[in-house]
Parts: sequence; C-alpha cells; structure tokens
Amino acid sequence: MSDKHTSGRRWPAWSSEWTLLIAVVVAVIATTVIDSNHSYLYRPLESLRDIARNTALLGIFALGAAVVIIAGGIDLSLGSMIAFSGMVCATTMLALAPEEMMASKPVGGWVVAAGIGMSMLVGLAVGTLHAWLVTSIRLPPFIATLATLVGLRSLARALCESTTAALTPSKSAQIYVADPFFKMLRDNVWISVAVFAVLAFATWVLLTRTILGRHVHALGGNEDAARLAGIRTENVKWFAYCFAAVTASLAGIFYVANESVAAPVNQGRGHELNAIAAAVVGGCSLAGGVGTVPGTVLGTIFLRVVIDAVSKVIKTGADVYEGLIVGVVVVIAVTFGQFGQRAGSRQLLPGPLGLAAIPVLAIFAGGMVGMTLGTSAGTGTGVVALVLLSGLRTWESRSASAG
Amino acid sequence: MGIPFGVSGVTSMSEPVISMQGITKRFPGVVALDNVSLEVAPGELHAICGENGAGKSTLMKILSGVYQPDAGVMTIGGASIRFANTREAERAGIAIIHQELALVDDLPVLANVFLGRERRTRLGLLDDRSMALETARLLETLECGVSPRVRTGSLRVGDQQLIEIAKALSLDARILVMDEPTSALTESESARLERVIASLLARGTTILYISHKMEEVFRLADRITVLRDGRTVRTLEKSQTSPREVTSLMVGREIHDASSMPARAPSEPILEVQDLHLPWPGHVRGYRLDAVSLSLRRGEVLGVAGLMGAGRTELLETIFGASPPTWRGQIRLRGQQVRFCHPAEACAAGIAMVTEDRKRLGLFPEFDVAANVSLSALERARSGGLVSRKAEEELVAEPIQATGVKTPGPHAAITGLSGGNQQKCIIARWLLTQPQVLLLDDPTRGIDVGAKAELYALIDQLCREGLGVILTSSELPELLTLSDRVIVLAEGRLTAEFSRSEATEQKIMEAATAG
Repeated sequence: MSDKHTSGRRWPAWSSEWTLLIAVVVAVIATTVIDSNHSYLYRPLESLRDIARNTALLGIFALGAAVVIIAGGIDLSLGSMIAFSGMVCATTMLALAPEEMMASKPVGGWVVAAGIGMSMLVGLAVGTLHAWLVTSIRLPPFIATLATLVGLRSLARALCESTTAALTPSKSAQIYVADPFFKMLRDNVWISVAVFAVLAFATWVLLTRTILGRHVHALGGNEDAARLAGIRTENVKWFAYCFAAVTASLAGIFYVANESVAAPVNQGRGHELNAIAAAVVGGCSLAGGVGTVPGTVLGTIFLRVVIDAVSKVIKTGADVYEGLIVGVVVVIAVTFGQFGQRAGSRQLLPGPLGLAAIPVLAIFAGGMVGMTLGTSAGTGTGVVALVLLSGLRTWESRSASAG
Repeated sequence: MGIPFGVSGVTSMSEPVISMQGITKRFPGVVALDNVSLEVAPGELHAICGENGAGKSTLMKILSGVYQPDAGVMTIGGASIRFANTREAERAGIAIIHQELALVDDLPVLANVFLGRERRTRLGLLDDRSMALETARLLETLECGVSPRVRTGSLRVGDQQLIEIAKALSLDARILVMDEPTSALTESESARLERVIASLLARGTTILYISHKMEEVFRLADRITVLRDGRTVRTLEKSQTSPREVTSLMVGREIHDASSMPARAPSEPILEVQDLHLPWPGHVRGYRLDAVSLSLRRGEVLGVAGLMGAGRTELLETIFGASPPTWRGQIRLRGQQVRFCHPAEACAAGIAMVTEDRKRLGLFPEFDVAANVSLSALERARSGGLVSRKAEEELVAEPIQATGVKTPGPHAAITGLSGGNQQKCIIARWLLTQPQVLLLDDPTRGIDVGAKAELYALIDQLCREGLGVILTSSELPELLTLSDRVIVLAEGRLTAEFSRSEATEQKIMEAATAG
C-alpha cells in the first residue's frame, strides 16, 4: 500500500497491488498449514471453487462500487439493488410464463432473456435516478443512495407480494426460480468467474484506455477543475452510477441462480458494504480519483480468502465472523495505506484518547481470540496486547518529547 | 475621531502598545514578509494599506497568532511575546475580525460569542441565561439589536461582524484587528460600524485597520502604515499625508518600461461584451458585475485590473460559461451572439480559461504531466476508439515544448513540478483545444520571478500568433508590461479604461479604489 503518488507510472498504486497479491499468498499458505484438516492440500479444487464462487459474486458489483468511488461518489444501495434486480427478473418470468414457473418447469429461452433484460434495464433506471438526485437535486451521494438502499428492498418486497397475489394462488415473500438456465449458472461456478473476469477486463480497459475512464478519474480527483476543463461532469456521474447499478443487477441474477429463489427480504443484505470494503482494501480512496481494477479484484480476493481461512481454521460457519473479518481487514489495510504515504509523521496512541484506546484494543483482541480459540488463548492475547500497546505508547511519547 | 496622537514620528514614540521588529515570514516559494516593522501607539486607529499580496493579512495573522514568524521580535505592552496559536494571542488581549467571518452559522448568537469559553451552571450544564444576558449587554453597546438566541446564519453580514466584535469584547480584547471590515457592508451598516469604532477608541481600545478604501482610511485613521511586496514602506501621520501620496506609496516601484516588449498589431475584434450584469442574490450590492462592456481584438492583450472582490474572476467565468447562467447582457464571439452554459461549450467555440487557483481549479494531482495536458483534447489521442499511450505522448509533446515546460518526461508527477511549470502545463492543456480567445486569471500568482518572465514571453508570443488574450492580475506592473489596453473594475463596475500609453499604476490604483 506504500505507493508513491509521484512515481513515473500513469496511475499509482502498483506496489499496493503487489502487496495485496503477497498478502493473498501468505493467507493461503497460512491457512494450509494451520487448518487441521489441511483441506487446501487434500481438496484443492473444491476449496478453490468455494472461494471462486464467492469472489466472483462479490467482485462483480465491487467493480461497480469501485467505479463510483473513483468518480468521487459512493453507492450504498448495491445490496438492495441485488435484491431488487433478482426480484424484477423473477416477476418478469412469472408474468410471462406463470404456469411453468409455478410448476418449476423450464420457461423457455426468450422468457429468461426477457427477465435478465428487465433486470439490466432497472439497473440503468436506478443509476439514472441516483445521478439525477446527485447532480440535479444536489443531494450528497451518501444520502441519495442511502434512500435507495432502504427504498429498493422495500419496493422489491412489495413487488413480490403484489405479483404473487395477482398471478399465483397465494401471496408470497419469495419466488422460486427453477429454470435450467439458472441451475446451470449455479452448478457451473466457472460461468460466474468468467463473467467476473470479462467484466473486470472491460472495466480495466474502460478506466485506463478510454476518454470516459480518464474523465472518471478527473472527476474524482478534482471535480471543479474537471468542470472547468470542459468535462461534462454530470454525464460522467450518470455513467458511474448506472455502471454500479447494472453490475449489482448482474450480481442479482447470480444470487437468484445460486439460491434458486428470488427472496428480497435477505438477498444481498449488507453486501454493499462488503463491495465498498473490497474496493477500499484494493486501494480505492473514498476521497475519489484514486483506484484501479486490479486493486479492486485483488481486494475482493483477499477479503474472500481471509473469510474462507477463518472458517477453515475455526470449523464453524464463516457467516458469523464475516462482518468482523471485513471490519478488521478494512481497518488494517487502510491504516497501512496511510502509513505508507506519510510514514512516521503521526502517533498511533496520542494523549488521553490513545490511553483509553489501549484497554479497548486489548479487550477486543482478547475477546476475538477467546471466542474462536478458547478462554486461555484469549486472556493471553489480551495481556500481550496490553503490554505491547503500553510499550508502544511509552516509546511514542518519549520520541515525541525528544523530537 | 479617536484619541489625537502626537505629531512626532515613529522613532520618538514613547510607549508603543505593539511593537513588531524585523518580522519575516516565508511560505514555500514566496517571502510573504521581509523584515517588516510596525509600531502602534495605545488607543490609536492604525490603518495598514497595501496592494493585494503586499503582506497585510499575513502580518495581522502573525500578530494574532494564526501564523508564527520565521524571524523577528514582537512586544505587546513592552513584554516580548511569541504566540503559538490564536488562543495565546486572545489571552494577551488581541482579537482579529477576519475578512471571512469565523462564526458557526448553525449556532445561536450567544453560543458563538462564548464558543470555547462556555459558562456553566453549578450542575455543569450550559448557562445559556447568563451568556444571553452578557451577549445582549455587549450587543447593546454595539448598537446591534439582534436577539442573543437567534441563529447566527440567519443574520446579515453587518450584524455577524458586530457579533465577532462582541466576541472580542467579551474576551476583554485591548487590541482589535479588522481586516477589510466594510467590504460587505451597506452604507448605513458602515456608518454604524464607524460609530462603534469611535466608541471603542474612546474606551482605549487600540485598532489595527486594513482597508482598500482610501476615503475610509482617511476618515478613521490616526496613522497609516503602507506595506509593499512584503516590506514596510513608511508609517505616516494622517494629518501630514494625502490619499494620493498613500496610493503612490502602495504602488511605489519605479515605473516599468512599458516598451520592454515591441508593440503588437491587433487586428479585427473577436470578442465583445456589452452591458454585462451578473446578479449576486443575497448580497447587499445585489450584483457581482454591473454594466461591464469590453471588446477584445485578435493579437491583443486586454488587462483587467481590480482589487480583491472587484469581479475580475467573475467576468472571465461568465464569458467562459462557468458562472451560473443568470447574467444579462450580450456576449459576441466573432460577431455571433453566444451564451455558454457550460465550459465545454465555450471550449468547443474556441475559448480557453486558465483559472486563478491552480491547485483547486486547475490541477489533477493524481495525474501525470501528460494526462494533465491532454485532458481537454483527449479525443485527439485516440486510435481505434481507445486512448493510446503513444498517441497521447505525441499529442502532448508539442504544447509541452511550445510552452517550455521543464519536466523529466511526459509521465512525471505533476506535483513534482514547480508552480511556473505547472501553470505552463495548464496553458499547454488549453493550447491543445486550439483556442482563439485565452482567458488568463492571475496566471503568475505564486510563481517566482524567473518563471514569470518566461510566462510573459509565452503570452506575448501566443498573442503574436493571433490569439486574443484577456489577462487579470493582482500585480499592476504585470498588467502594464503585458497589456495593450487595461480596463479597471471596482466593486463590480467598470471605472476606467486606459490605452497602453495612458496607463500608469497611479491612475489604475485610483480607479480601482474609487467608490
């Protein structure tokens, strides 16, 4: 993460990507060794497939989140967009082929195409809405997409209830999707991986080799200057928000396929934050203007590898710890990124706040270890953390008073 | 007005309340203050005059603890002192009323007056009652009838200023610094402020007063110190000087040889502006620009002079389509009436603008030199629909060479270049759009002398190649060196136009401080 903004490359952050790549390799090796089943060693393909599926699913809309972040905005609505797009796809198919859908029979190619097409269209519509709210109404992107984050999920649920009430015998909170096309998407992990790869490549070309991509960077880097340089910044924003919403639409199709159901209550819930986290871990700056596709891809892979590693090591469902891991990884990755840029110019534990942070950090570390590895290991970790942090503070305050 | 002060000069002054000796302050690339000395007698109103960038505000910020001097000694009331921050200066009885007021809009008046020094009840809760009473008492002495509990942001600028003064009084400030306090006030508000100033002086408060308005300075001040280019020129007794002498001291430098560049031969008019009026909603003046007309010919540099806030930038931005499109009047480009609503339209029509604030409005720090230069003409670096690195390098090579940018290579970081080279990169960016009119808004600000000379030569050369240039500058010698004609703005209005032979710094300064 210690990229030099001043290096000769066109865009920075190359070394940040190398750091991430090394981190991924280290995490994989560590898991192989620590995991008592050694599943990476004995069942490599199965393990790889698991990680690949999760990575591709998250990565598709993490790319969308990254483009908006590079353009200087933020899209909080992607998780709800996933649920909404899946729902639109399912209702479209239900409306066009109600009997087949209810009998879990194949609905036919053109019905599937129509469902997916409608999903993409609502992606464009929601992106347009975001861009309008942000540029014409001048809402902060955070507010505009917060509104759609809560609004779209609710709309998806309402859509589900009203269509099922109208087209099926009973009102329902979800629509089952059993068409063989979706089964194929579910069973062939490599399709989602291929879609992710193609999308990543296309996004990379777009950001680094097209005028629009250059304008996305310019907009995020300095919006006023971009406007005064003759860039139609409102159109660039329009593109960015549409791109993000459409990637979430695409991910929504895969979510429906993986679970064989469009279930707007929980599908994609909270995943917008994972996507933002992946982009940030990959080197995107929330201030805008900085970020790359390779970084975002590696950030996604790193997040999923660490989540998988923890589930392998502690042998319970990773979903319980997923949020915790994402949180810790984001804090550590961004902290390291900042330290690379202004090394040594700051104290980690200054003043009374630093003093109060020492026990808090020690208790968190001890608690996390204690819950996964047992009480004695947790207590030990807590004590070690307390000693190390106190030592760090003493050293910092001494060198600060000396300087 | 104020306590009459002895006729003697600085040297024989008995006990100055403020004494600043040999104050020097450097910023990266600029010496803002060079060995400045200032002595202020207790209870006087001491005006500080000078052109933009002469160092007035920097000096006042040092006095009030915002900046720390790199060299020099300061004594307040005889005791040598050095402020680490504004808090320490406040404790020493110095308060500053900034040009841009430092109030929290969303808090009530009383909270702003007591911000950071809130009074508390015995229970430790905020004692709004006592603070409101004290605020009301202070405001009454200032002839300000606003309620202490009203939201600060809802008040007029004139009232907000009095609240800043009330805050200073509640700090028991003995020394008050006012930085262009009347620039945003109506006449009746200014008159009230003058009465307040008189009563403060009668109470023994010492006031340092920065102003561009000669008339005001001569009505209020006991003594006047003129700064120029970061140096003290002289301190004058009001009774022994005249506005004319002060303006000429402000300008001061030996008159530049206007014929240092051979005369150009402007041809047909390319840009005409008639009766331009740009409204300013919510401001007492009501307009940023009013009844401004100008015409620009090919191969000509038209200089726009004016002090801070006179409307120079707004004039250029309106022509460039970067202001809100609420203006009235006519703009004709090559005889065609135009009305640009976005810089992209102006750019397509052949107008380019180099903005005033290079860092904030011009540069993309994450981009390298090539990407900064190619940005507005990137479609010319495409091959097969994609931006090609090689085509981009070829595209930017020519303007980089033409403008004389010194860079290690096209892919060097823009932030590693000097201010002058960054500015050349931005001019290079605009040359790629093949403009016919170039708007330069204070293009040499923050640039060292050598780079300035290079930029002058570049502007002259572009002009000879047939470009029409409108140039604003906060430095009069620069305008006089470069311009074929100079127009002067004051408070949004056109107050004078001079040909190259007529223009002098003295005449321009008089027109710019009129009204």
